[in-house]
Amino acid sequence: MRTEALDEAVAVRAEFQGGVVTPVAFTRRGREHRIKRVNARWVDRVPRHPHFCFSVTDESGDVYQIQLHAGEMVWWLDSVAVEG
Amino acid sequence: MTIPAPPPAAVLHVDIDAFFAAIEQQRDPRLQGKPVIVGAGVIASCSYEARAFGLKAGMPLSEARLLCPQVVILEGHAQVYRCFAEEIFARCRAVAPAVETYLDEAYCDLSGTERLHGDLLEAARGLKRAIRAATGLTVTCGLGPNRMLAKLAGKTVKPDGLACVSAADADAFMRHQPVERVPGVGRAHARTLRSMNLRTAGELRALPVAALARLFGALGAQLYERCRGRDTVVVSEREIPLSISRETSFHRDTADRTEIEGMLEYLVGRACRTARELGIRPRTVAVRLRYGDGEGAESARSLGVASDADPVVLLLALELLRRQFTRRVALHTLGVTLSNFVRGGGEQGDLFAEREAGRRAALYRAFDGVRAQFGHGVLVSGRALHLKGRLEEDEHGFVLRTPSLTK
Repeated sequence: MRTEALDEAVAVRAEFQGGVVTPVAFTRRGREHRIKRVNARWVDRVPRHPHFCFSVTDESGDVYQIQLHAGEMVWWLDSVAVEG
Repeated sequence: MTIPAPPPAAVLHVDIDAFFAAIEQQRDPRLQGKPVIVGAGVIASCSYEARAFGLKAGMPLSEARLLCPQVVILEGHAQVYRCFAEEIFARCRAVAPAVETYLDEAYCDLSGTERLHGDLLEAARGLKRAIRAATGLTVTCGLGPNRMLAKLAGKTVKPDGLACVSAADADAFMRHQPVERVPGVGRAHARTLRSMNLRTAGELRALPVAALARLFGALGAQLYERCRGRDTVVVSEREIPLSISRETSFHRDTADRTEIEGMLEYLVGRACRTARELGIRPRTVAVRLRYGDGEGAESARSLGVASDADPVVLLLALELLRRQFTRRVALHTLGVTLSNFVRGGGEQGDLFAEREAGRRAALYRAFDGVRAQFGHGVLVSGRALHLKGRLEEDEHGFVLRTPSLTK
């Protein structure tokens, strides 16, 4: 298992319900990745505004880490974990 | 007038099960059910599946691979672990008025909260549920009349367990504990005691306090109390940490002094910034290194005057490094530890240095403000500039291979 850094801004479709944000899909290089499962979520409070971080599995089974920067309301695609 | 007796002490010990490895298994479901270890050079954390193969924290990775060839080895994500730990400790603070936290465990002082919580065991169950719901992680909890018994109680029900030792049961519980379980008894002390045919805490009670003091010095008196289930150390919020450590292994072992001193400057900068944020100044600076062949060295020295200023601490750290890094072997790990703190920010020097110290403190306050807004990596000083381009960066600064945390 190894992690490849992606480190790029990304368009994310998300649900905001009951004060909780849940990513539903993201678009990378013109392709929509539907999120099959949110594996884990955590909040990084070190930056001035919190970063809401998620580990998600898309339909193809790849595991991505994405985060919402609450200050700028920007979604960021951090990395993908690939097998091997 | 009679003074009411204080409420009986009650301490809850919360230990996060297989902390780093459990988070990695949660972040990537493909790892669930597999032996997973987190570490670089040695195991920092291993999943329960890995433990079944005899793997444990502190074991070299080469040995781990021999024992379990299919093990998944991950280098770890310290920033992620810190976020999870903070979430868990926040839940602990919601139930206990005083919480003492460490990297992956916390002591919660529940003394006097019986009227609030009713049954303390039920409160502990509720805390476990809340932590599971918020983080997906399991914790093992031990409830006891003091810190030591709370922790030892938890050890009997790992993972995801809850155990209680009451004050009435403390004597019997402690009597049967192996001597290794008594806090303060390490491998060497245990060997000494076993050579004297003393295998349990109950058997250790046969020794008078004077004999224990002769054997183990100042620790002897503490062991005399502890083997009887007595521990007078109170739960303290510990606003001042015992130490602030910043340590990493290099992505590739290196003997390049520019890179090594650059890394040391960066680690010192991170540690000093943490000290300034906490409003404390270290008196003692330690530098620790480990060569690629496994040999290590560590030395510490005290500053003339406690200081949280990067250049003051760095000067001493560089001296310690140059004195220790004498072999013609590449370095694997480098770390700096600040300790022996005094409260109060800034720097106090002699009368004529006051102005310079004041200017320096103002400069670093300004640096900290910029870094708080734009990330630590936005300002890189001196030798640490040599790390640019060699290491990846994120908003926290350079991405270290195995960062460590404040203890």
